[in-house]
Amino acid sequence: MERLDQLFVLLKKIILQFAESFLPAPLLPFLSILVSITAIAIFAPLTMMYLTWLERKVIGRMQNRFGPNRVGIYGLLQPIADGIKMLTKEDVIPLGADRVTHFLAPVAVVVPSLLLFSVLPFGRNMTAVNLDIGLLFFIAVSSIGTLAIFMGGWASRNKFSLLGAMRAFAQMISYEVPLVLSVVTVVMIVGSLSTEKIVEAQSGWGGLRWFVFTPWGFVGFMLFFICSVSEVNRTPFDIPEGESEIVAGFHTEYSGMKFALFYMAEFLGAFAYSAMAATLFLGGWQGPLLPSWLWFGLKTFCLVFTMIWLRGTFPRFRVDQLMSYAWKFLFPMGLSNILAAGIWYHTPFPLSFIFATWILLLSFIGLSRLNPTGTRLERRTYRFAE
Amino acid sequence: MELFFYLLATLTLLGALGAVLLKNLVHCALSLILFFAGIAGFYILLQAEFIAAVQILIYVGAVATLVLFAIMLTQNVIGETTLKGLGQNRWWALGISLVVITVLVRAIQHQTLPSFLPEGRVTTNEIGHTLVTTYVLPFEVISILLTGAMIGAIVVAMETKKNKQQATGDRRRT
Amino acid sequence: MIPLSHFLTVSAVLFAIGLYGVLARKNAVIVLMGIEIMMNAANLNLIAFSRFLPANRLTGQLFALFGITIAAAEVAVGLALVIAIFRMVKTIEVDRIEKLKG
Repeated sequence: MERLDQLFVLLKKIILQFAESFLPAPLLPFLSILVSITAIAIFAPLTMMYLTWLERKVIGRMQNRFGPNRVGIYGLLQPIADGIKMLTKEDVIPLGADRVTHFLAPVAVVVPSLLLFSVLPFGRNMTAVNLDIGLLFFIAVSSIGTLAIFMGGWASRNKFSLLGAMRAFAQMISYEVPLVLSVVTVVMIVGSLSTEKIVEAQSGWGGLRWFVFTPWGFVGFMLFFICSVSEVNRTPFDIPEGESEIVAGFHTEYSGMKFALFYMAEFLGAFAYSAMAATLFLGGWQGPLLPSWLWFGLKTFCLVFTMIWLRGTFPRFRVDQLMSYAWKFLFPMGLSNILAAGIWYHTPFPLSFIFATWILLLSFIGLSRLNPTGTRLERRTYRFAE
Repeated sequence: MELFFYLLATLTLLGALGAVLLKNLVHCALSLILFFAGIAGFYILLQAEFIAAVQILIYVGAVATLVLFAIMLTQNVIGETTLKGLGQNRWWALGISLVVITVLVRAIQHQTLPSFLPEGRVTTNEIGHTLVTTYVLPFEVISILLTGAMIGAIVVAMETKKNKQQATGDRRRT
Repeated sequence: MIPLSHFLTVSAVLFAIGLYGVLARKNAVIVLMGIEIMMNAANLNLIAFSRFLPANRLTGQLFALFGITIAAAEVAVGLALVIAIFRMVKTIEVDRIEKLKG
């Protein structure tokens, strides 16, 4: 059991011990880093490949069709076929494009989403880099992706690309605020930014100490999840790449491998945000019987599945709805959630539960009342088609 | 360590130079981002990881975005947004900058600086505690300043009814 | 180990570059970017000193933190002003903004 739990840690140890026999001592720390990086670099594209397969399969089932089923059993080799197709496609750069920026954008979008994986605790003792400021690192790095998307959209010299890029900009900045606010509650209660400490703080009581079971944790989890769906530009928040409005948004002018990199960044982001939500609110790798990394994988899988489910269920937001949802609902909700977490921290147990629940319920009801449900649009006047 | 320092220094200086010398405004802003990231690298080198993360979050995540937004709102958005280059006072500016560099570098060279590296690092916990105990007054003042700046920025940049009419009028005319 | 003077020299050169940007460029956004470069150079100084002076490690980092916050506030107000000016006179070249009346 213990062996199985620490499988990957032991594997790394064996590799390091084997290397010790012929490598000089000063190189060993670098080798340790290299092994971790290699593990992430293999794991991340594999995840991405099978997430695309999963998404197509699940969406297919939801729409009453089979999804990919030609290549391999259950279409399991489909991602590989897709990869070959992407690699052999012609790489088109628009004539007017800003070549350097156009080339750099896909790179700049993938690197941060790979960096996100370095602070995730995949299992017991399985954080690649146990940073003191892990959570802050996660948020800081994830904010770089916005700029990469802008670079891609601007460098393409295409109005749809630029529109998509500006939409992505506005959306991701707006949703980052409630995202950070929802995370602040966890940091307040745990008193640390390290992802490992956050997981440790949720141990015990047979899973009842997961933060999602507290009032502030539940609201925080919902806020975090909604905002993370928006941060990775997935449906129903996919207005930056809405096909029916602006062709494909910021990656209209990308083809071949560069397009695949944008696609990869989206899926890696979806996975990393789900994993972070599991770490922050669902107890991370903790769970009975099964090995820790499997528990982590299961929780993350459930959240990723929910993201796909959302995509199969909801229509796209309108731009004004999107903005008012972030600023008029999620943002004040995040603020009152911080108040609730503060009260939770400073009052004894049964009272704290009641107070926090009431604060959150009242603010939820109040905010839904204050926000008008049906938006009255101005009467549209047509200038040319009258 | 040394290699890392020189690499970072080159990157940061190139970024800063690009930000003030390039012709295309968006290129300037992108090169400014390189500069911000380089400074964050310096902070990591100096064992100030928390400040480095804050630098990335605020400068790369927010300030650069604001700058790009301002460029998009004030320039011809698509196509060549090249500038007419430098003003007439560039030679004066160059002279002044060179004088500043000489004076500062001379001052640094003639000073006996501490060369001893103390052990131990500053933890995030310590920063947080000091921020709400010893430095609680500056902290509060800063938060008032931020609120004021935010309200001010919104009020200044807000489209009032009058200049909105003006803008639509302009659009009709053209 | 890298001596303190190296960091200070880099910071001095960065400061001068920022100053050049402020003085030589005509575009208001680039002037603001130059100011940001100068502020970052100052912050680099603070952090470098805080690393080498054992007594003031925390103070240096906190001052850099305050500096970053102030720079963020400054850039927000500055860019809002740039946008407001652009709306009024349709240019953001600093030497062509000469009207005192809107």
